[in-house]
Amino acid sequence: MNPLTARLLLEATIKIALLFFVNLTAVAYMTLVERRVCAWIQDRSGPNRVGPFGLLQPLADGIKFIFKEAITPPQAHKALYLLAPVIIFVPAMAAFSVIPIGPPLMILGRAVPLQIADVDSGLLVILGLSSLGVYGIALAGWSSNNKYSLMGGLRSSAQLISYELAMGFAVVGVLMSAGSLRLNDVVERQMQHGWNILWQFPGFLVFLTAAFAETNRLPFDLPEAESELVAGYHTEYSGMRFSMFYMAEYLNMITASALVTTLYFGGYHVPGLAALDLNPTLAALIQVGAFLAKVAFFLFVYVWVRWTLPRFRYDQLMNLGWKVLLPIAVAHVLWVAFIILMGWA
Amino acid sequence: MTLLSGLVIVVMAVALLRALMPSRPILSAVAGGPAAIVLLALYWRDLLGMDFWAGAVGFVAILSALLVVLHPNPMVSVLFLILNLLCVALFYIMLHAHLLAALQVIVYAGAIMVLFVFVIMLLNLKSEEGLRLGRGRQRWPAHLLGVGFAGILFWVLRHRTDQAFADSPRWLEGFGTARDMGTLLFTDFVFATEIASVLLVAAMVGAVILAKRRLD
Repeated sequence: MNPLTARLLLEATIKIALLFFVNLTAVAYMTLVERRVCAWIQDRSGPNRVGPFGLLQPLADGIKFIFKEAITPPQAHKALYLLAPVIIFVPAMAAFSVIPIGPPLMILGRAVPLQIADVDSGLLVILGLSSLGVYGIALAGWSSNNKYSLMGGLRSSAQLISYELAMGFAVVGVLMSAGSLRLNDVVERQMQHGWNILWQFPGFLVFLTAAFAETNRLPFDLPEAESELVAGYHTEYSGMRFSMFYMAEYLNMITASALVTTLYFGGYHVPGLAALDLNPTLAALIQVGAFLAKVAFFLFVYVWVRWTLPRFRYDQLMNLGWKVLLPIAVAHVLWVAFIILMGWA
Repeated sequence: MTLLSGLVIVVMAVALLRALMPSRPILSAVAGGPAAIVLLALYWRDLLGMDFWAGAVGFVAILSALLVVLHPNPMVSVLFLILNLLCVALFYIMLHAHLLAALQVIVYAGAIMVLFVFVIMLLNLKSEEGLRLGRGRQRWPAHLLGVGFAGILFWVLRHRTDQAFADSPRWLEGFGTARDMGTLLFTDFVFATEIASVLLVAAMVGAVILAKRRLD
C-alpha cells in the first residue's frame, strides 16, 4: 500500500470515528436540552439533580436503557422486529457523511476536507438515505403485531409519500442557483452571491416544514401520537432497542438542521471573515464554529416548535402536504427560474 | 475471486447444515465461522480488488432475487426486493454512474417500495395466502416466459463484446455526473425523454380514471 492511500484511509477512519462520537454525544445532550427547554417554556425546572445543572442526566438515562429488559412480544415477527431499529439507525447516521462542516483544513502538509465523502450528487444521497429510514418505522409497526403499532407504521409511510415531493421541489431551487448537486458547490455559490435565504424564502419554509414531517417531530409526529396510538410504531420496544429509535430521531434532527444550514444559510460561511485576512487554520476553525452554531440554532427551533404547536390531525397533515406545500414549492421553482433567467441572481 | 467462490461455498454449506439439522443452530456457526475466517486470512489481497466486490454484490443480488420469489412471507419478500434494488445501485456506483445510483435508491428503493410496503400492511397479507409457487392458471405461461427470458439472457451473455460502451472519449469526461447526464438527456436523447414523460402522464391519467370509476 503506498503512503498516500494509507494516509487517506487513516484520515477517513478518524473522520468517521469523530462523526460517531460527536453525533452520538450531541444526541445524548439534545435529550437533555429538549427536557430543559421544555421545562423552561412550561415554567418548570426540568431534570436538574444528576450532576451540575443536570448535565449527567443523559449518562444516567443511557445506563438505565442498557439495564432495562429487552422484551420481544411472543406474537411478533422476530427477525424483522430485531432488524427494524437497525434499519432506522443506519441511514440516520450515514446521511451526515456528505455534509461539509468547514473549509479544507491544512493538517501535516495536506488539505483535509472536513467532510467524509465529497459526492457529486450529495444532495440526492441525503434524500435517498432519508427515504430509506422510513422502512425502519414501517417495519417496526408491522412486525410488532399490535394494532397501534401498525397504525403508526402506516401513517409514517403515508406521511413520507406526501412530504418527500414538496421537499424535493423546494431543494430544486437551491440546486438551480448553484448549478450543481454537490453540497460544496452550494456553499461556495452562497459565499460569492449571498445566502440563499435572502431570495428563496418560500423554498426554505417548505423545506423546513417538510423536514419536520420527515423527522416525525411535533407538530407532525403522527406515527407516534401518544394521545391516540399509545406510542405508535415503537409501543412494543423497550430498553436499548427503544433507545435506538430515539437516537435515530435526534440524529435525523441533527442532519436536517445541518442540511437547512448548508442549503439556505451559507453552510460554514461567515460574512466578512475573508476581509479580516486571518491565519487560514484559525479562519477554518472559526467557520466550523459558525456552522455548529447555526446547526445548534435550528436544533433549538425544533425543540421550540415542539413545545409551542399542537399536533396536526391526520387529514390536516395530508391537506397541508398536497394542497399547500406542493403548490408553493412548484411556484417557488418557477420564481427561482425567472430570477436566474433575468440575470438578477 | 478465489475468496469469493470460497465464501459462497461456506455460505451454502452453512445453509445445508441448518436445513439438515434445524435443532442444532450452533453447529453451523462453528463449522462456517472458522472456515470463513481462514479464507479471509488466506486471500486477504482479494479484498482490495474490484473484481471481488463486483462478484460479492452480484452474489447478494442473485440470492436476494431468488428469495423475493421463494420466501413465503410477502413482507420479507418485499425487503429482499429492496436489498436487490440496493445491489443494483451498488453496480451503478461501480460503473461510475453515481447519479443513476442515487436516483435508483430514491425512486425505486425509496419511493416505489414504500408503496409496496404500504399496500402489504394495508391488506394485512399473511404468509402463504395464494402465494405458493407453481399453482393456478398462469403456471404454464409463466414457465414459458421464464425459459424464454433465460434464453435471451444467455444469448446476450454469449454475444457481448468486451469493449465497454463508455470507451467513447466524449463520455469519459465527467461521465455519470448530474451535469453530463442532464446534457445528454436534453440533447441526444431529448425525443426519448419527452416520449417517456408523455407515457407517464398517460399512465397517471389512466390510473385516476380507473380509481374514479370505482367510487361512483
